[in-house]
Amino acid sequence: MTQVVVPHTGPPGTDSDPLGRGAARPPGTWVVAACARLVPADRRAEWHAEWMGELTYAWQVRRPPGAVTIAARAPLLLRALGALSDALWFRRHYGNVSMLSQDLRYALRTLIRWPGFTAVVVLTLALGIGANAAIFSVVNAVLLRPLPYTDPDRLVYLFGSPTDGDSAKVGTSSSYPDYVDFRTRARSFSQLAALSVRQTTVTGKSFEPAIVSGGVVTANLFPMLGVTPAIGRGFGPDEDKPGAPVVVIVSHDFWRQRLSANPNAIGSSLAINGRPATVIGVMPPRFGFPGNSAVWYPAAESNDPRTRGQHSYVILGRLASGTTLGTANREVAGIARQLETEYPGLNAKRGARVQGMAEATVGDVRPSLLVLLGSVVLVLLIVCVNVANLFLARAAARAREVAVRTALGAGRSRLARQFLTESVVVTAIGSVLGVGVAYWGSKLLVSKAPRSIPRASEIGIDANVLLFLLALSAVTAVIFGVLPALQMSRGMPIASLREGGRGMRGGLARRGLRQALVVAEVALAVVLVVGASLLVKSFWKMQRVDPGFVPDRMLAVQIQLPQSRYAGFADADRVRAFYADLYSRISARPEVQSVAVAMQHPLSPGWTSSFTIAGREPPPAGQEPESSIRPVTAGYFRAVGAKLLRGREIQESDGVAAPGVVVINEAFARLHFPNEDPIGKQIDRGSWWKGMPAHYEIIGVVADERFQGLRAPADPATYFSLPQFTFNDNWLLVRTRGDAKAFIPTLRQTVWAMDRDLPLENVRTMDEILGDAVADTRFNTALLSLFALVALLLAAIGIYGLLAYTVAQRTSEIGIRMALGAQRSSVLRLIVGNGLMLALIGVAIGAAGALLATRALERLVFGVSTTDPGVFAFVALALTAVAVTAAAVPALRASRVDPIVALRSE
Amino acid sequence: MPRPPRLTLPTAMVLLAVSRHYRYGFDISDATGLPSGTVYPVLRRLEDAGLLRSRWEAAQTARAEQRPPRRYYTVTTSGAQAVRDAVERYPTLQRAFDGPNPSPEPRTA
Repeated sequence: MTQVVVPHTGPPGTDSDPLGRGAARPPGTWVVAACARLVPADRRAEWHAEWMGELTYAWQVRRPPGAVTIAARAPLLLRALGALSDALWFRRHYGNVSMLSQDLRYALRTLIRWPGFTAVVVLTLALGIGANAAIFSVVNAVLLRPLPYTDPDRLVYLFGSPTDGDSAKVGTSSSYPDYVDFRTRARSFSQLAALSVRQTTVTGKSFEPAIVSGGVVTANLFPMLGVTPAIGRGFGPDEDKPGAPVVVIVSHDFWRQRLSANPNAIGSSLAINGRPATVIGVMPPRFGFPGNSAVWYPAAESNDPRTRGQHSYVILGRLASGTTLGTANREVAGIARQLETEYPGLNAKRGARVQGMAEATVGDVRPSLLVLLGSVVLVLLIVCVNVANLFLARAAARAREVAVRTALGAGRSRLARQFLTESVVVTAIGSVLGVGVAYWGSKLLVSKAPRSIPRASEIGIDANVLLFLLALSAVTAVIFGVLPALQMSRGMPIASLREGGRGMRGGLARRGLRQALVVAEVALAVVLVVGASLLVKSFWKMQRVDPGFVPDRMLAVQIQLPQSRYAGFADADRVRAFYADLYSRISARPEVQSVAVAMQHPLSPGWTSSFTIAGREPPPAGQEPESSIRPVTAGYFRAVGAKLLRGREIQESDGVAAPGVVVINEAFARLHFPNEDPIGKQIDRGSWWKGMPAHYEIIGVVADERFQGLRAPADPATYFSLPQFTFNDNWLLVRTRGDAKAFIPTLRQTVWAMDRDLPLENVRTMDEILGDAVADTRFNTALLSLFALVALLLAAIGIYGLLAYTVAQRTSEIGIRMALGAQRSSVLRLIVGNGLMLALIGVAIGAAGALLATRALERLVFGVSTTDPGVFAFVALALTAVAVTAAAVPALRASRVDPIVALRSE
Repeated sequence: MPRPPRLTLPTAMVLLAVSRHYRYGFDISDATGLPSGTVYPVLRRLEDAGLLRSRWEAAQTARAEQRPPRRYYTVTTSGAQAVRDAVERYPTLQRAFDGPNPSPEPRTA
C-alpha cells in the first residue's frame, strides 16, 4: 500500500473532518476551537487539524462503553487545555512577528514617503525630550532634590542679621564666642555647629603643594548632618580643643587625586597651613560641604572673648523636634538682643535669624532655575501640542488612503494597529534621539555650568524624568496617531471616497480647538523668546562694560605664604622681602611685559575696612565709612591697564619707611570728595600694628575697576603701597609679551626656585577670570536662548502643521474657488492670512503674558528693563515673520491646486 | 535556521520519546508524563530547529478508522545527534524509555 503523505505545510483536506457524526465529537473540541482563534490565520487550519486528530483518536481508543460521564471526559478535556499554551506559542512565534514585521515594513515605507513629517516629528520629540530632560535634571539636582543629609528639612542656618538693615556692617557670619552663647542658651535646636571655609595650603610628600578650600568645623558638624566618612572616622570632641594635635579628613576627590586613592592614607601625615596633621578619614564621593571643601579640620577654638569681633563662622543647626522656624527665629532674635546688651561695643545692631538650609543654599540661583523650569514646562506643552497637530494634519491628508483600505476590507482594529505601529516607530526614533540629546545635553550643561551653581556635582540625568518624558510623548503620539484612524474608518468608506477626503469633517469646534492650540503655542513661544532676548541684550550690555583694566595676555596666581614659615604679623620684613624678590625675578624674564603684586586681582572684591578722613569731624563709633582694601606694588595701574585720572601712581620709593600714601578710586572720590580735590588729603586708619603708618596721604585717583563684578558699580576703594600694608597673601599679576599660557611653566619654576612648597596649581589668565564673572549670565542666556529657539521652531512647525491640515481638508473647496476664477494670489492670501491671524492673536496674548512672566527675570537682567519696548517689538516682528514663513509652504501648495484634479473627486 | 533549543529536561524527554517511536503528540505526552501544554511547544521548537520532522499519517488509514488523520513526528539526521546529547546529559532517561517493554511502532499504513 502506498503511503499518502499530506504535505506538512497544508491541512489534511476536507475528508479529514468526519465530525458530522455527533457521537464521535470528542471532549475538548470547543477548547481547541476557541484556542484556534489565537493561532495566526495562515496556520490555523493545520493547527486545528493536528489537535482534532489527536483528540478524536484518543476518544475512539479511550471512550468507555455506555453513558459518557464527566469523569470519562475529564482526562481529554485536561489534555485539550494544553492547546492553549501551544496556540499561544504559535501566536508568539509566528503571529505577531509576521504581522508586526508587515506593519513595521509598511510603517517604515509610509514614514519614508512622508520624509518632512517624519523628520519634523522626530526632531520635535528629540528636542522636546532631550532638552527638557537635560534642563530638568539640572533644576532637579540643584533645586528640587532634598539635600543629601539626614532629615534635611530640619537643618537651618543661624545667620547674623543687621537690626538696622545695614548689611555692610553685620553679615551673615558670627564669631565663635557668639556661637558658644547661642549653643548654650538656645532651646530650639537639638544641635548647633559652627563652620567656615578657608583657603588652606596643603603640602605632603606625594603631591604638589596646593591651595584648597578647607572646611574649618566643630566636631559635631558631620554627625549633625548625618554624614560619616567613607573610610576612617570623624572628629572626636577632644580633637576640637585648642592645642590638640591637628587631624584632617579629606574629600574623596582629594584622596583619589593626591593620595592615589591609597586605603592606607588613614594615619598618614600632611601639613595644613604648615602645621603637621594626621589624616583620619575620607568623606564619601561628592561630599564637599561647605563650599566644595577638599579637606576638613576642627576649629579647635578656645572661646577667647577677644575674638567676639571676628565674625568668621557660619552657624548651622538642627531644629529640635516640634520646633518651628518661627519659634526658632523668635528665640535667636531674643538671644541676639541679650548679646547686644551684654557686649554693646562689638554686638551693636547685631541681630540673628534662622533660615532653612535648602533655601539658603539655592537662594541665589533659585530665580534663574525657576525661570528655566518654567521654560521646560512651556516647551513641553508646545511639544505635545505640536505632535498632536502634526499627527492630525497627516491623518487628514491620508483620509483617502484610509477610505480605500476600509473599502478593501481593512477592519478598524487593523487600521488602528497600522497607525499605532507608525506612531510607535516615529516615537521610538524620536525617543532614542531624545535620550541622546538628554545625555549629551546634560554633560554639556554640567561642563558649562558656572561655579556659582550649587550642588553641580550632584547633576545627572534623572531616570524618572526621562521616563516621564518618554511616556508623555509616547502617549501623545499614540493617541493622536490612532484616533484619526478610528474616526475615519467609522462610517461609510464610499462616502469618504466620493467626498475626496472631506468625509472626516472635523467639525467647527474641533477645528477651533486646534486653532486655539496653535495660538497658545505662539503665545508660549513669545514669552520664551522675549525672556531670551532680554537676557541676550543683558549679556551684550555686560560684555560692553569696561572692567577698568585690560585683561589681555595677563596671568594671575595667588601666592599665599604659610604663616608657619613666614609669620607675617610678627616678621613682615620677610614677607616684604619675598614679594620684592618675586617681583624682580619675574620682571627680569624677557617674556614679561609688566608685573604687579597686589592683595586682590582686579576682579576680586576682597575685604573692606573702616577709616576716617583726617581733619573732618569723626563719625560716631561704629559708623565709620568703609572702603575696599587693595594694597598694590609700584606700577600696578600701568601693569593692569587701569587709567590714572589724577595725581601719581604708587612708586618704588613709597617703601616701608616712607610716609604713607594711598591712591583712591573714582567712587571713593565721588562719595567723600564730591566738590573738592582729594589729592593731598589724608585718611586715618588708626594704628593697627607696628610698622604700618596710621595716616595715608591721597596721591592719586584712578578709574574704577569693576572688582564687585561687572553687574555692580565699584564701591569706594583704597590702593595702598604694598610694602606699607603687608599681608602674606597676595596675587602675582603678570602681563606677558606673547602667549600668556606658555609662560605658566616658567612662572612656576621661578617661584619654586624661591620656595618649593608654595602651591601654584591655579594659575589662570585674567580672561578666564573675567569669563567667570559673566559665566552666570552667559549660562542663563545660552539656556534660555536655546529654549526660545526650540520654542520658535516648534511654533513654526505648529503653524505649518495646522495650515497644511487645513489646506488638505479644503483642497476641493480651493479647487472650486479656482474653477470659479479665483487667482492663485488670492488663494495664497487666504491661507497666509489664516496663519497670520493666528500668529497675531498669539503674539498679542504672548506679549501680555511676557509682561507678567519677565518679572521673574528682574534679578537676571542687566542694563535693560524687563519691559524693554525694543525687545518686545523685535520679538513680535520675528514671530510674525516666522509664522508667515511657516504658512507660506502649505499656502503655496494650495495655490498649486489643479482645479480639474480637485473637482474630479467631487 | 533557528538556534537549536536548549536541552532542558522536558526537551530531552520529548526528543528521546520520539526517537523511541512514540511519535504522536498524545502518545509522547503519555510516555513522558508531561502535559500536552508542555509537549506541543517543545515539539514546535524541535521541529523549527530541524531536529524533528512532522508528517500526516495516510489519509486512507484515518478514513478506515472513521477519524481525521493524525500528525506524527520523526527524528531527523541532525536530530539524532541531539538524541545522543540528551542521553549523555540525562543518562537516567534512557533507562526509563529502554525498559523491558518494546516501544510501539507507528501506525503507518
